[in-house]
Amino acid sequence: MDKQLDLLQGTLDMLILKAVSLGPLHGYGILLRIQQISKDRLEIQQGSLYPALYRLEHQGWIASEWGESENKRKAKYYTLTVAGKRRLQAETENWNSMADVIAGILGTKPEEV
Amino acid sequence: MRFWNQLRSWIQTTLHRSRMESEMDAELRFHMEAFAEDLVRNGMPRAEAMRRARIEFGGVERVKEECRDNVGVSFVDSLLQDLRLALRMLRKSPGFTAVAILTLALGIGANTAIFTMTNGLMLRTLPVRDPGRLVELLHQYPGEPAFNGFSWDAYQTMRDGNHVFSDLIVDSLNVIAVRADKPQPQTVFVGQVGGTFFQALGVRPAAGRLIGPEDVHTGDHSPVAVISWPFWKSRFNLDSGIIGEKIVVGDTPLTIIGVTERGFYGISEHARQDVWWPISLGPSSGMWYGLLGRLKPGVSMEQARAEMAVLFQAAIDRPDADPFVRRMELRIEPAGNGIATPLSQMLSTPLTVLMATVGLLMLLACANLAGLLLARGASRQHEMAVRACLGAPRARLLRQTLTESLLLSVAGCVVGIFVAYVAIHALIRVFASGRFVMIAPVNFEALTKPDAHVLLFTLAIALLMGLLCGAASAMSASKTEPATTLQQVSRIGESKARRLFGKGLVASQVTLSLVLMSSAALFVEYLSHLRNLNLGFERNHLLLVTLDFARSGYNAAQFSQLSQELVMRLDAIPGVSSTTFSDMSPMQGPGAASFASAEDHPEKQTQVSINSVASDYFETYATPFLAGRDFSARDQAGSPVVIINEAAARDCLGNENPIGRHITLSHVTSTKGEKTYEVVGLVRDAKYNDLQQPAPPTIYPDLLQQGYIGSEHSQLAIRTRIDPDGAASAVRQIEADVLKDVPIVRIMTMNEQIDSSIVPQRLIAMLSAGFGALAALLAAIGLYGLLAYTVAGRTHEIGVRMALGAARTHVMRVVLRDALWMVCAGFTIGAPLAFWGKRVAASLIPDLPVASLLPIVVAVAIMIAVGLLAAYLPARRAMRVDPMVALRYE
Repeated sequence: MDKQLDLLQGTLDMLILKAVSLGPLHGYGILLRIQQISKDRLEIQQGSLYPALYRLEHQGWIASEWGESENKRKAKYYTLTVAGKRRLQAETENWNSMADVIAGILGTKPEEV
Repeated sequence: MRFWNQLRSWIQTTLHRSRMESEMDAELRFHMEAFAEDLVRNGMPRAEAMRRARIEFGGVERVKEECRDNVGVSFVDSLLQDLRLALRMLRKSPGFTAVAILTLALGIGANTAIFTMTNGLMLRTLPVRDPGRLVELLHQYPGEPAFNGFSWDAYQTMRDGNHVFSDLIVDSLNVIAVRADKPQPQTVFVGQVGGTFFQALGVRPAAGRLIGPEDVHTGDHSPVAVISWPFWKSRFNLDSGIIGEKIVVGDTPLTIIGVTERGFYGISEHARQDVWWPISLGPSSGMWYGLLGRLKPGVSMEQARAEMAVLFQAAIDRPDADPFVRRMELRIEPAGNGIATPLSQMLSTPLTVLMATVGLLMLLACANLAGLLLARGASRQHEMAVRACLGAPRARLLRQTLTESLLLSVAGCVVGIFVAYVAIHALIRVFASGRFVMIAPVNFEALTKPDAHVLLFTLAIALLMGLLCGAASAMSASKTEPATTLQQVSRIGESKARRLFGKGLVASQVTLSLVLMSSAALFVEYLSHLRNLNLGFERNHLLLVTLDFARSGYNAAQFSQLSQELVMRLDAIPGVSSTTFSDMSPMQGPGAASFASAEDHPEKQTQVSINSVASDYFETYATPFLAGRDFSARDQAGSPVVIINEAAARDCLGNENPIGRHITLSHVTSTKGEKTYEVVGLVRDAKYNDLQQPAPPTIYPDLLQQGYIGSEHSQLAIRTRIDPDGAASAVRQIEADVLKDVPIVRIMTMNEQIDSSIVPQRLIAMLSAGFGALAALLAAIGLYGLLAYTVAGRTHEIGVRMALGAARTHVMRVVLRDALWMVCAGFTIGAPLAFWGKRVAASLIPDLPVASLLPIVVAVAIMIAVGLLAAYLPARRAMRVDPMVALRYE
């Protein structure tokens, strides 16, 4: 297993939106999905997930509903709203262009200046 | 969109707090249990798995707190906490809380009461189409109140010649008795209107139709009437069958053709009209036309004034016009808030003065409470420091203090509304005693009705006061330095800046109360000056009876016989020394006027007041004869005679002996034509209509000689040796016996009548004196609070001083000197302000005794006394400090 990376500030929201966009999930499920997609390379403080979820729901980007978990227990499921979908798209584009710029800068060689 | 989302989610979670909490619990528990189960599945023992799950999750409470923060409910939580703490703190010191709430309540109540009046009288707009462009036309003789009424000629000239009005609307506001279905008449405001009245104001009928141009004819008017919705409801119970029924207005039967829409009440809110009928047009009608104009779009007030002034001059500048009439001037005033009525003319100046006064009172109350809160805040420094140490952010400490002051202001607001309610009803009683008001069915309910403006005003005042009061202590609380405070450095003394600020607050209270008290003293001095004027007649022990002869049907001979019989029988009442009839009594209101000329100087016309009186008038009023004689029974059949006063003698006849000379009057109300009289008596000058004006030249013709048959308000004056009110019932009895068809309109003493003519002055004097006293009291509380706090804070220091040998009197002197310094600092700023305030007051109210230094001297003296009194208790406490106790306490 590779060394785990600390989460970049402000990226947790985006990861949650992405995770939820793949299908309704409860809080623990979101954590598992992010770890699964990232192949366990991201270190996420478990507790920090919930303030983020409450904030996103408060802003109307995700919606919640109580449902039944895989092993027949009551769990709160989150889904992406229409506004959340737009938000995710915007954040993704923003992230990609930012990553391009940063990568471009970091990849600059002395002779290119 | 996002905002609404957040608001909705905030409201939902706030309203369902307990559900949110339990759901949050369930969700977090599910997370940890699910994680633990996964660990168990990987082979970990269950107990160890749960422990791991809790560790990995982190602090559950902190997570929950962050969740609450993120949906904004923690704000409400901490607000509730703040409120609970504030309530507890206030309950802990009930004395302070009571003083604070009362101070706020008086400030808020006084402001609300005066604003309610101002709003009801001057700020509410009429419920008509585009009220902003309505103006009122008034004429005014120099030095007299303006009056909305114009002759046919003036009306015609202004209507046809102007280019500034899209409508010139006729509505003559009047008071008259109306008989409807019930036999007894009801006195209501009515309007005689032109054909365009309803159409121009955009009023629709609720039933039937309204008066239109077809109803208005030259000469006689057509006998139709429109009634108001409230009148329809109260008198006819909304019966739609009344269209076509008769209604008797005065003595004229009119046919009801319609009802105005609900909500329309005419052209003044407190003088609500209930019946309208068409005015008759034409030169011979002898009517006065009340005029409203609607400005054309784009025409300014100044343009309208300029053009109409020229037209009006042309209308009155006729060769046959009285010289007096030519001095008339036209005024145009906005009428969107209702036309000027006697009530609004009487009250607009007092209300302006009082609004300024209560504004100052509010500032004073704020400074007072700010000082008290600051002193209290200082004693809570320790608590604030502890909270700061425990991690409370400054904003939170600031909010806690503001929550307390706002809580106080909310409580003050509630009590203040009650204060305002009581104050408004007391004010109304004073208004209603005004001489113009008591004869009219003024709608005081409309004046006192609180509307959205009043509500907003009160809330704004309460909020403003809460913030102003709390600001200082909030700032100081948020600046708490935990380290120094907890080391108890502060016990030796607080920072110099803060002490100065506290003293500054007290000094500013002294300043404000000096201004308020000196102006109060000014108004009170003025009122007592008015009440002690030499009137030229004796005001005490004089009973005035107003009689309505309008329906008696007496001829001159009957009047003469019955009035003499009545006077004779009244004279026989024990305690009555003299009785007389007259057309007018002094201070009753404006009476007849005419132009007089001496026989040998017909070209020199003097404007004179006319009052027809019976014999014994001057004896009854105790106005001395300077020469000549009173009227006698022989005059009734003889040649016309008059008695004149000194001013008339001087102005008409120069310095010669007036007795036996002849004076020609251009007209007397009952005779119309010119008539020459012989002067048989000369009496001392007496005030006539206005206490503030010098006695006008006055001519007194013989009532009985004039063929007088009584009017709607003939005056019977009774001079008594006993309390005049005591004679009232006997007078009623005898009057009913002798004059069976003549109702008594009212009985009042001369002093009451004088008071009814100076309602504005009384109002200002009474209220400003009350506010001045309140200001002094507040300043005293402020001073006392600060000194008491300072002495308490300096107990240690005083103990040390005493231990080192300071005398007790010295300690007391230090405290008193402190107090006097603050009072004197207040004076240095207050005195110039008070002088400035006097000048402002003088510009609003003519002939105030502004030159007098007495008011300021009185105010300064009172403030010094109040200051020493307030300082006495703390000073005594300082003097009694026991050095041993003070030092051991350390």
